[in-house]
Amino acid sequence: MADGPITRRVLLARLGAAAGVAGVGAQAAIVVRSFVPNVSYDPPSTVKVGLPESFADGLTFLAERRVFIARDGRSFRALSAACTHLGCTVRAEAVERPDASDPSGRRQAQVYEFSCPCHGSRYAADGSNLSGPAPRPLPAYRLTLSPDDGQLVADLGDEVARSAVLTLP
Amino acid sequence: MTPRNRFWSVFPASSREATDAVVANLLLHWFPARMRVTSLAWTPSLWLGTISWVLFVLLLLTGLPLMVFYVPSTRDAYQSVKDIEHVVSYGWWLRAAHRVAAHLMVIVVTLHAGRVFLTGSYRNDADREQHREWNWVIGVALLAATVLLSFTGYLLPWDQLAYWAVTVSMNIVGSAPVLGAPLRELLLGGRDVGQAALMRFYLLHIVVLPIAVAALFGYHMWRIRKDGGLARAGTAGQAALVVDAIPAVIARAAVVTLGTWLAVTVLAMAIPSPLEQPANPLVTPNPAKAPWYFVWLQEIVADTTVRLGPVSINGALVGGLLLPAVLLAVTTLWPWLDRSPTSTVGVWLPAARRRQLVVFAAIVALVVGLTVVGLLRGPSWQFHWPWQAWPELPARW
Repeated sequence: MADGPITRRVLLARLGAAAGVAGVGAQAAIVVRSFVPNVSYDPPSTVKVGLPESFADGLTFLAERRVFIARDGRSFRALSAACTHLGCTVRAEAVERPDASDPSGRRQAQVYEFSCPCHGSRYAADGSNLSGPAPRPLPAYRLTLSPDDGQLVADLGDEVARSAVLTLP
Repeated sequence: MTPRNRFWSVFPASSREATDAVVANLLLHWFPARMRVTSLAWTPSLWLGTISWVLFVLLLLTGLPLMVFYVPSTRDAYQSVKDIEHVVSYGWWLRAAHRVAAHLMVIVVTLHAGRVFLTGSYRNDADREQHREWNWVIGVALLAATVLLSFTGYLLPWDQLAYWAVTVSMNIVGSAPVLGAPLRELLLGGRDVGQAALMRFYLLHIVVLPIAVAALFGYHMWRIRKDGGLARAGTAGQAALVVDAIPAVIARAAVVTLGTWLAVTVLAMAIPSPLEQPANPLVTPNPAKAPWYFVWLQEIVADTTVRLGPVSINGALVGGLLLPAVLLAVTTLWPWLDRSPTSTVGVWLPAARRRQLVVFAAIVALVVGLTVVGLLRGPSWQFHWPWQAWPELPARW
């Protein structure tokens, strides 16, 4: 680079080079931006899952949305089936565990737990992570009742506390 | 005009004329005009770089006809691969040859990197102006591109293996702080694994990565030439036995090429290509295993979730991103960290590099050990010895 005053020729050459770099850079940015989708074809996060009475007591797996609906009498909860480690679909399993209501601790009760087939994470029935690499509990989603047809509505974009239940009158 | 003259016009009468012919010819110029006899031998390089290139060319040649039949859509991909396997004449062989060559390329490129490390060939001769360290960096990029090529190909059949491999790998990407989630969305073209993701991985596999490998390989070869061929300890002033590269190197390269081709041909007939059930987002296979070259990483990802009181750091970030990133960075920068004497350049397992070699052996043993443990995992990621039957899965609700 020459010392001394910048001549018109050098200035124009630099401006030209800068314009070239800016042009190529802007076009590269345009290409990268085009890869980011503006319209999502993913399914909506709010979904009607069915009338409350259509669910049996216990767990129902809604395969197409990867969510469990747990019913206990008139109370309902929605729990994600996607493992919080790497997103594999967990399975509900019936297992024998010591019955908490038995002071001797000898009686066994059948409860369900969730296990992940990918890396062996286990979750309790309420979704809390028990063992394995899962860093967080399974998320619980907001359940409401649709005012128009009385179906349960799960909002898979709205995470709520695991203790939150929808209790119907 | 004799038949010989119809296809060839230069018949050198002397070594000088042969050299001129090579320099003047684009194709022959690929090789140097003259080579040391020691560079043609098997032991310094094991010819692993050449084998890698031959495998890459075989992958291009088998990939082209596969592209005629493969349909990159989540609806049709599985059926089109099934057609290649069972309907297209010799489609099974084309797919098997492509798959075998891909696996061999991962193995051979890895061995090539190991050879260059073990002989310290990323280091410069004491008495010459060279930049072999940059060629090592290009080599590391080529190794990464090879693994990515293999992995993106693994996804194309859109079977259960493919779907869950994309899901898990993209969640590993998404576990990175700040940039992870947007990068995951950019690669998938959405939040869910679907059509947009398949198309993006397909284009990475057939266009972006092959062009990257071809370009990097061209530069890799050019740098070897500029740096004076195979690395060896300073030989200034020593007489070396030099021969005309053509036909000596052509003959040796032909043996390597034909041997590689034969191996792929025979292995493709012996090893059938698997095709699992069609991709099903609702059911994760149990166990769900990564491809064999990622099993050691999968094992780390499953074991490195860190809990500090109420805070949990996902193993995906620790084992899936941070550890591999550190390993890759140290590997890339190793030529600048290696302070061993230049007399060890090009020498197999020199005593002066004992400490480095022990650490290298320990890392290799760890990776192999983790791979073996990962391969022996059964349902729900439980460990089982090969002679132990996998348990029946408990009742499902």
